[in-house]
Amino acid sequence: MSRPLGRRDFLKVTAVGATAATATRVMRRAKASDNSAAGGRRWAMVIDQSKCIGCGYCTLACQAHNDSNPEIQWNRVLVAGEVAGRTIYLPRPCMHCAKAPCVDVCPVKASYYRDDGIVMMDYDRCIGCRYCETACPYEARSFNWKEFDGPNPVVPKWGQPEVERRPRGVVEKCSFCHQRIDRGLSLGLEPGVDADATPACCVVCPTGARVFGDLNDPESEVSGLLSNNVTYRLRDDLGTEPRVYYINADPTKMEE
Amino acid sequence: MVRQLKLKLSNLPISPWTLWLAFLGVLLLAALLAGVLVFWQGLWLTNLTDRVPWGLWITIDLSSIALSAGAFSLCAAVYLIGLKRYEPIARTATFVGLIGYTMAMLSLLLDIGRPDRFWHALIYWNEHSLLWEVTMCVMLYLAVLMLESMPIFARMGWLKKRYPIVSEKMGRVHHYAPYLAIAGLALSSLHQSSLGGVYGVLKARPIWYKPEMTVLFMLSAIIGGIALTLFASMLSARLTRRARINDLLVERVAHFVAWALVAYVYFRFWDAFAQHYTYDPGRTEGLELLLSGPLSFNFWVLEMLLGALVPMVMLLAPYTRRHPFWRLMALGLVVIGVIAFRWDTNMSGLLVVMPYLPGQQTVAYASYVPSLIEMVAGLGVVAYGLLAFSLGVRYLNVVNHRLATEERETVTARLPETVPA
Repeated sequence: MSRPLGRRDFLKVTAVGATAATATRVMRRAKASDNSAAGGRRWAMVIDQSKCIGCGYCTLACQAHNDSNPEIQWNRVLVAGEVAGRTIYLPRPCMHCAKAPCVDVCPVKASYYRDDGIVMMDYDRCIGCRYCETACPYEARSFNWKEFDGPNPVVPKWGQPEVERRPRGVVEKCSFCHQRIDRGLSLGLEPGVDADATPACCVVCPTGARVFGDLNDPESEVSGLLSNNVTYRLRDDLGTEPRVYYINADPTKMEE
Repeated sequence: MVRQLKLKLSNLPISPWTLWLAFLGVLLLAALLAGVLVFWQGLWLTNLTDRVPWGLWITIDLSSIALSAGAFSLCAAVYLIGLKRYEPIARTATFVGLIGYTMAMLSLLLDIGRPDRFWHALIYWNEHSLLWEVTMCVMLYLAVLMLESMPIFARMGWLKKRYPIVSEKMGRVHHYAPYLAIAGLALSSLHQSSLGGVYGVLKARPIWYKPEMTVLFMLSAIIGGIALTLFASMLSARLTRRARINDLLVERVAHFVAWALVAYVYFRFWDAFAQHYTYDPGRTEGLELLLSGPLSFNFWVLEMLLGALVPMVMLLAPYTRRHPFWRLMALGLVVIGVIAFRWDTNMSGLLVVMPYLPGQQTVAYASYVPSLIEMVAGLGVVAYGLLAFSLGVRYLNVVNHRLATEERETVTARLPETVPA
């Protein structure tokens, strides 16, 4: 082809090249966090609303262990309604969705899936655009509007910080206490069974309303609870497939 | 009216130009202070919250990008479709585009929590994220715009005198205008619609979650971008002799804007009308904010009536379209309408807080009014745009509809290169 590259040829080459490049990249993309085969772990939480008394210890322990800004609560305890004259609560951590909108929308992959299904934040990568905040249906994400440089008011009463404090200008959220899970596993402990390997909120809960464990392990407590109870997930209609399950409050099971 | 103003101002000891520069200077200084405060203290100085994380600055960002769309659409018309006679308008549009995209960059730098990491999107790709795609397209398109405006900067008297070779080389970039127009068309079609898609793919925000978001953003951007280019050209021609327009040319393009508005009103009507039927949690509440809530003035008056219907009629009717003053007014209204659309879109989705507790039917409402610092910094970004355009009119001849032929001659004159200078 001796003639110079014409406008049409240029357009063709550009279009074909761009399509091919996009297609290969999209196909290579990891498919959500569903690679549960090969005996991997799949962490989940089951929260029994009959047992939750709304004390809010989980929130405080979370703030201490994760050293979060006092204005930020990764775990919130909400009033869900009333059953048989008693207030029902709904503690809300991050749902660690299998199809998380925040992971989809993050422009820099600062939100990502760990192999064990935990939806994790890379605080060194986050640019603070807050798109994930608009995308999350559960209000599980908090932005560091202000620098947190003072002492943490809930330390040491509710626990000792186990992770680095986040800088101003990034988004943060519950990580299922990944640091406790990882350290526990390296010490041969079982998350959900041994307190040192289990999320702080579950450990501190005085009524045992929060249970943590491996969905891929049929012997785990969460698997047992899921097969023996009717459970639900928040906004299941959105198709986000949360890994936090709730057991509805049952007046006959509630203690006085 | 403008002439009267001009007469009055000419009696003053300082020239209107100096006054204008001083006015913009004050705004820019105030904004600089606000910007330093924001970078130093952080975004808690804004009234943004975790529920309403995007506000005034994102509106300025979206509007600047939308109102820059004249560049790609007019360049495509001139260099790809072959409507050569509109070349001088495309030239102005390119300059407006360059200003608009840099304005968007400025407001984004203010808005993101870690401006020092703005380049992360270039390194850490999430090709699944529309915001990533928008970021990449905007950066690439800014590069295209810089190339496209090279011939404009090449005309700077100072540059011509001091560095004639550089000036000549920059002028020659014009030769590649058709290729740049292709790149611009591709990149702009992608990100102008994807900006709507950024909102449109969020299932958690029912009023945003719809495919027509992309169409509406694209269409309104083309309309607003061309309207702003024409408006700025006409206004400059009224205010200074350094700007010269061909009124007939402007009128023809304004006629196109009118028909594009017809298409836009059609889509927007069905968008709002179809959503009005059956109760859909969140979506209905969001629409109510627009139809009868706190955003209703914006929606009905600024967006629909003054922003679309009135200018549509004014630009379709031969009398008002031909009359320079009414045409100017109509084009200005279109610009306001596009800005109002961006603001309303952002707010109607964010002010509605969707419930996620089981059995909870009622939605909650968030509120947002920009803080003083947001307004001062935002005004500064706008002032930068106005200053850049004013300087362009004064020193770079960006509004000059008699210039195009000369420029084309410089391109053809490039052929006999062997001839000694």
